[in-house]
Amino acid sequence: MNRSKWVPLSLTAALVTGSLLAGCSSGSGSTSGGDAAAKPGESASASPSAAPSAPVKIQMAMAASGLPSPENDDIKKTIDKKLNTDLQLTAIASGEDYKNQIRVRISGGNFPDLFSVELADVKEFSDKGLLLDLTPYIDKDLKTAKDFVLSEQKEIIKKATINNKLYAIPRIGDVPFSTMWIRQDWLDKLNLKMPTTLDEMMAVAKAFTEQDPDGNGKKDTYGLTGAKIGAFASVFGGFGAGGPGTFYEKDGKVMNGYYDPAMPDALKFIKSMIDAGVVDPEIMTNKANIEVQKAFQGKAGMIFRGWTDMAKDEFVAQYKAINPNANWVQISPPLKGPGGAYDGAYDYDRPSRYWVIPKALEKDKAKLQKVFDLINYVSSAEGNRLVMYGLEGKHYNLKDGKVIPTDLMAKEGNYFNLYQITGRPNKEYLEIKFPNQAAATDVAIKAPRIKAFDSSVLPPTGYNKADADRFAEEELIKFVTGKRPLSEYPDFLKTFETTFQYKTFVEAGEKQIRDQGFVK
Amino acid sequence: MVRKGEDRLFQTVTMLILALVGLVSVVPLLYVFSVSLTPFAEVLRHGGYVLIPKEITFHAYKKLFESSGIPRALGVTVYITVVGTMINLLLTTLVAYPLSRKKLPGRNIFLMMVVLTILFSGGIIPTYLIVKATGLIDSLWALILPGAVNSFNVLIIKSFFEQLPEELFESARIDGAREFRILFTLVIPLSVPAMITVGLFYAVGHWNSFFSAIMYMTDRSLYPLQVVVREILMLSQQQVENVEEQVPTVTMQMAAVIFASLPILVVYPFLQKHFTKGMLLGSIKG
Amino acid sequence: MSSNSWSAEPAVQPGAGIKKKQTFWKTIWSHKEFYLMLLPGVIYYIIYKYAPMYGMVIAFKDYDMSEGILGSPWADPWFKYFQQFYESPYFSQLLTNTILISVYKLAFGMLPPILLAILLNECRVRWFKSLVQTLSYMPHFLSWIIIYGILLMFFSQDSGIINRWIIDAGGKAIPFLSSTEWFRTMLVGSEIWQNLGWGAIIYLAAIAGIDPTLYEAARVDGASRMQMIWHITLPGIRSVIILLLILRLGHMMDAGFEQIYVLYNVYVYPVADILDTWVFRTGLEQWNYSLASAVGLFKSLIGLVLVLLSNAMAKRWGDSGIW
Repeated sequence: MNRSKWVPLSLTAALVTGSLLAGCSSGSGSTSGGDAAAKPGESASASPSAAPSAPVKIQMAMAASGLPSPENDDIKKTIDKKLNTDLQLTAIASGEDYKNQIRVRISGGNFPDLFSVELADVKEFSDKGLLLDLTPYIDKDLKTAKDFVLSEQKEIIKKATINNKLYAIPRIGDVPFSTMWIRQDWLDKLNLKMPTTLDEMMAVAKAFTEQDPDGNGKKDTYGLTGAKIGAFASVFGGFGAGGPGTFYEKDGKVMNGYYDPAMPDALKFIKSMIDAGVVDPEIMTNKANIEVQKAFQGKAGMIFRGWTDMAKDEFVAQYKAINPNANWVQISPPLKGPGGAYDGAYDYDRPSRYWVIPKALEKDKAKLQKVFDLINYVSSAEGNRLVMYGLEGKHYNLKDGKVIPTDLMAKEGNYFNLYQITGRPNKEYLEIKFPNQAAATDVAIKAPRIKAFDSSVLPPTGYNKADADRFAEEELIKFVTGKRPLSEYPDFLKTFETTFQYKTFVEAGEKQIRDQGFVK
Repeated sequence: MVRKGEDRLFQTVTMLILALVGLVSVVPLLYVFSVSLTPFAEVLRHGGYVLIPKEITFHAYKKLFESSGIPRALGVTVYITVVGTMINLLLTTLVAYPLSRKKLPGRNIFLMMVVLTILFSGGIIPTYLIVKATGLIDSLWALILPGAVNSFNVLIIKSFFEQLPEELFESARIDGAREFRILFTLVIPLSVPAMITVGLFYAVGHWNSFFSAIMYMTDRSLYPLQVVVREILMLSQQQVENVEEQVPTVTMQMAAVIFASLPILVVYPFLQKHFTKGMLLGSIKG
Repeated sequence: MSSNSWSAEPAVQPGAGIKKKQTFWKTIWSHKEFYLMLLPGVIYYIIYKYAPMYGMVIAFKDYDMSEGILGSPWADPWFKYFQQFYESPYFSQLLTNTILISVYKLAFGMLPPILLAILLNECRVRWFKSLVQTLSYMPHFLSWIIIYGILLMFFSQDSGIINRWIIDAGGKAIPFLSSTEWFRTMLVGSEIWQNLGWGAIIYLAAIAGIDPTLYEAARVDGASRMQMIWHITLPGIRSVIILLLILRLGHMMDAGFEQIYVLYNVYVYPVADILDTWVFRTGLEQWNYSLASAVGLFKSLIGLVLVLLSNAMAKRWGDSGIW
């Protein structure tokens, strides 16, 4: 009785679907129409063909947060006035949401004029012919921007180049922030010396766990906290290994962290720490910054973390409020181990963003020119100062050519970086913006690290990174918690290579790094 | 006499279980509320958890309002919730009533049409294309029209309409009433609990929606409240990527949660009295 | 589905006589008001629900953004993305976890809201009833990120309240949130907690629709509260229970993505990783729309089969089912 009703249903469904197939093909196919056709309901004043005085509407999109509403956005207003544009920035807080939105918009032919994506997306989008090839423009129309990024990082253009073509404008990379932090007041209380080697660190961790450094009479502290295997970055560094999955140079060759002969030794050391009970038992499950809260609460005396989470004024105020004697300091130079002394690995040449322009914009020369103007402007001395420090007289004052920030800069200036399309000279910038953290910043920048090349590596097709990552994470944790003997490490690698095709990924990575000329 | 004792025991057990349910529900909420009112350092000192604040501050709420255009977002949310729910209820009843008439020719085709959309969907890209083709991108209607009828709610309303005694309809029809009149003057007034329930489902759905806004809006001034709240929650979950980023403290997160759910929470107690309107039916029949 | 069932619809029976046809159109015409009511809804469904459904074909195609869904080339072989998902080393684990978690949630989560609704209905102290009803409804408004924080407060291995009690009592801390033995219990428990009061609303509405004269008659006959619950309240909300059960079965393959994604960790992947979290993680690395669609289609088809089966069963047992 019921099932018989399926006939008309499937007929209707077929009809409905069929008629729509015809209807929709025009919609989804017309990507070349681009932005101009995308919004029938918009006011006409934004169209570039209008009177020359009408501002050109430029849509920018990125994953970021903290953007104020347009009427409170001094940077937007200043740029608009300067370039005669109407700059519309869409910033979405969650990277995953942004990724979805940008794909869906592209599928609908509703391109932003300038948007930020990951390197893998640059490749995918450019392969599909969706992106404007910037190679012909970079030396002339975008010369200011090019000179600006190269002045800070000489390899950066190379990093954004795929198959000898430049599809993205790279943003100057970040400087490293992370180091090992330790409670100086705990060291003092227990009459311990600042550790300089991994073994000394182990001894200190033991003392922090067993000798009641907080003096509350309870054994409720640990040596080290953190989140997941990255909490042990300085251990890997001390053994001369770049950490799981990282690509770096070792003995003149490309090395992948899992294959480093020092890897099992580093894991063994980590296991000895966990066995000794000096590590936060929840270290592998901590997430959502809970590990920093634990550190602030005095549950652990060491953490590998960026100064951005430990030394900014508001954070110092937080842990001082809990315990006025608390004093977190960086361990510098990094802890020495059998393989050297490194605060983990760092990819120095990684652009911090990749900005792309849709191919469709080629047809709208006037607008394309405005986008170029925008990129060049924020790369010029005047424009770069605007997007770094805001408005003179409001967010900063000039004194003998030096930028003196006002109180408003700290209050309003947290979103300026969204407009730093090509980046900023980091050292100068951080010193002015974070004067109280200058020492910590400097320590983090100067700390020796293993130079990584991860941003040169794109996974080959057919390799499921999610499966491989899950497997590796699970097995590494079994090794360090003693659920699987370290003697089986070669077996782990074998399964990793065969079942999870890690070998194809490593080979692709090695080739890409050699092709870019980072390692011979 | 025996009945009475048994009844009293029954009442006591009922009250005890309900008290337990209330307690289990309230403790976590108390935590959210208390944290939002406690100075952040105080929260940290207590290991992140405070159930009864010793010291009260509205600092978190103040900071919440300073940032991120919350008042406007609240306006957007109220608008889509009110307008959206009215449209939802109208369309849903119009679909559900005919489907509750078992003799309607083709009823099963329409029903299947409704049920299939619970199970299958085209996915975000074709949906976006349709929303764009109907001109709704960057319009608040994009948050209302694409979800104008929820199949689940249609089936619920239909199921409630089916419970109404058939004699009611027959006597109304004998009196010469048209179907539209029967629906609006007889069926809907007799189904107040169902309408309230489904209306609440729709309203809460609108209130909590953020994904459509993120997908269909590029204009920040059209974002509803939950997008802003989500931004605050997401930010505190991620590692700092920009040095400048201000990570919202746990007190601010909780303040955002309280602020964003309080208006819809206080609506519920006012709706509850409508759940006891069962006597209406009896009075009409009698 | 047997073959003879494909031809039994009277409305399209081609051999029917003219007279029969006329009465058929007459019946249709006599229901014109109903069709008029349906019209806006049907238009809505066609535009916003059925028009996008052509997108399901992408499960069989290599999605190419520049070509659109219809222009994208067909996958080779056509089941490429189903294969990709089937060939994951974790396939059987993902499927087992999805079904088990979902079944547990259904088995343990269906009854509590019904019981709560009945108890609330029995409660004679007005203010108390209203208070409990409101309080139990609140957790629904907490996102899983917040609930995770609350769970940590109680169940964290290191500092959770429950574990502190256990340790104070001389026991050993239990890693509730990071052990394979306990994790599913936490999932089911926190879901029941979150949805208890919210889920009860619909049953309360159904109870409100029960004719109060039935209770009066029963009281006159000297029935006890339990008897009234059993013979009047439960039968009165039976059709709603069955409707919700059927619909829940349709979502059998949705085991609760957001909850699991927020709560799980490396220790519990073997018992907690489900289809949706896997698709999400895979998509995070390579945004694979075709794969996501293939998994979605697979889940929907299973849901469809379950809905058809359970609806047929409901009808066999004398209920009206959905249709």
